[in-house]
Amino acid sequence: MSARAENLARVARAAMPTLLGVIGALMLASPLRLFQGSLPTPLVPLVVVYFWSLYSPGHLPAASIFAIGLIQDLLSGGPLGLWPAIYLAVQYIALSQQSYFLGREVHVVWMGFAVAAMIVSVILWLFMSLFSGALLPIGGLVLQMMTTIAVYPVFAIVFGSLHRRVVIEV
Amino acid sequence: MDILGQERREVFGGRSNSQVGLLVFALVSLILLLSSLYAAEASVFKKARETALEAASPVLAFVSGPIGWVRDRVGDVGDYFRVLDQNKALREENAALRQWEDEARSLRSIIAALEELDVYEAPPSAKPINAFVIGEANDAYAHSMIVNAGSKDGVAPGLAAIDERGMIGRIVDVSSNASRILLLNDIQSRIPVFVEGSFVEGLLVGRSTTNPSIAITMLANGDRIEPGQRVITSGAGGVLPRGLSVGVVSKVTDKEATVELTADYARTRLVRIINYEFPQVEEAATEATGEIAPPPAAPATQPARTVRKPAAAPQASAPAPVATAPVTAAVNAPAVSAPAQAPLATGAPASGAPAADATAADIFPAAASPSVAVDEGD
Repeated sequence: MSARAENLARVARAAMPTLLGVIGALMLASPLRLFQGSLPTPLVPLVVVYFWSLYSPGHLPAASIFAIGLIQDLLSGGPLGLWPAIYLAVQYIALSQQSYFLGREVHVVWMGFAVAAMIVSVILWLFMSLFSGALLPIGGLVLQMMTTIAVYPVFAIVFGSLHRRVVIEV
Repeated sequence: MDILGQERREVFGGRSNSQVGLLVFALVSLILLLSSLYAAEASVFKKARETALEAASPVLAFVSGPIGWVRDRVGDVGDYFRVLDQNKALREENAALRQWEDEARSLRSIIAALEELDVYEAPPSAKPINAFVIGEANDAYAHSMIVNAGSKDGVAPGLAAIDERGMIGRIVDVSSNASRILLLNDIQSRIPVFVEGSFVEGLLVGRSTTNPSIAITMLANGDRIEPGQRVITSGAGGVLPRGLSVGVVSKVTDKEATVELTADYARTRLVRIINYEFPQVEEAATEATGEIAPPPAAPATQPARTVRKPAAAPQASAPAPVATAPVTAAVNAPAVSAPAQAPLATGAPASGAPAADATAADIFPAAASPSVAVDEGD
């Protein structure tokens, strides 16, 4: 393989977490309507951000997270900067607890994700309520976060093997 | 999996770096957030949204095809288990519709007779635009859909969008090939509506509830609003046509009436955007028949459709002719709409071509029929 192709492959591998986040944002903008719309689309970018912020923050810099959130904002038509702020908050939580979570059991990390998701849910709800001038219902948000938390292990397993096999080129 | 990261723990030398980047970008996003809140309609943000819409629309259109296919198959399975219930509901609906058909036939003859009198004025032209839903916002507090018709097809901000059940929202962002519909349950949605039966004009305010129900801020005599009454667009403000089916009042409190939407956002796949032009007052002064104001109601075009006649009246004097909206639907339902309905049934995405002259009521008779709406409300 030529040096150039190798370089390209390395860039592609390094950009993979970002790409996964972008795909997650696109998933959120597509009319998936799981189970006839009774189940909200999980926030895959949230999982991506938490996972890589914890295990390898170098592969998902703040700029990438900002871009992922911005794409989500642009596609959902909401106020710009909302989801970048949310995702960066998740990264902050993950980074600050990194030394605790690294090397722990999977379900401990999962619990950590649930806590992080709850914290950002509260932030999101508070902000949107302030923005709209009324206390908004939390049902939809709770359901979406529960769905995301529920699917976290599946994504974590997939992302974990991707990370080991592709991203860090073992 | 358990040990992921453990052996690489020492390698995270870049931690302080990423902290700085995190801080910088968090600050940037907060500033962006505040500025986009204070200037939500600023051209920069609008432009950015439209550009993103345009860039993402091919991807979304490509992805939504298979998604729709899978959903249809899964939906079929779900239907299979509910077939008895659905049969029963359909039979009831059929009976109700048959009554409407009878009434419609008699009304049609009356209207034809009235038209003979030559006091009928054709409403302003409108060309409905058909589009597929290729995307939707799945955030908890953003309720919008992206459709594959844009300014090239004649879509403009502010136009109403309906599906086969009733109104779903109005256009807010338009790029050349795609546009975004702000749904009625979004917290930013405000739609002037009219409650049939209680003759109350109001503003439908989105509350972002999961089960789309919306509150009306009342202007006067709110106590007369009762559950079960139909809610239609009022046409006030001249942006939306009058008479689009919005929903049914489901709950009334002192301050607000909750409205159960006729639209079912989980099932909306094909939408029709109503290109409605508000009639000019000058024209009305010269051509109208006197006390009747220009006909603002029905979104359709064809003068041959006599239906416009009843729809013409409501805006002139509020209470009296309100019941005309369902009539509009019923008159067209049995016969006239058959050809116009075809492209929708087959799912043709063509922008307005075959059914260009049909009204909302033409295509979606059920949506405008009060009996059906009430059933759904229950």
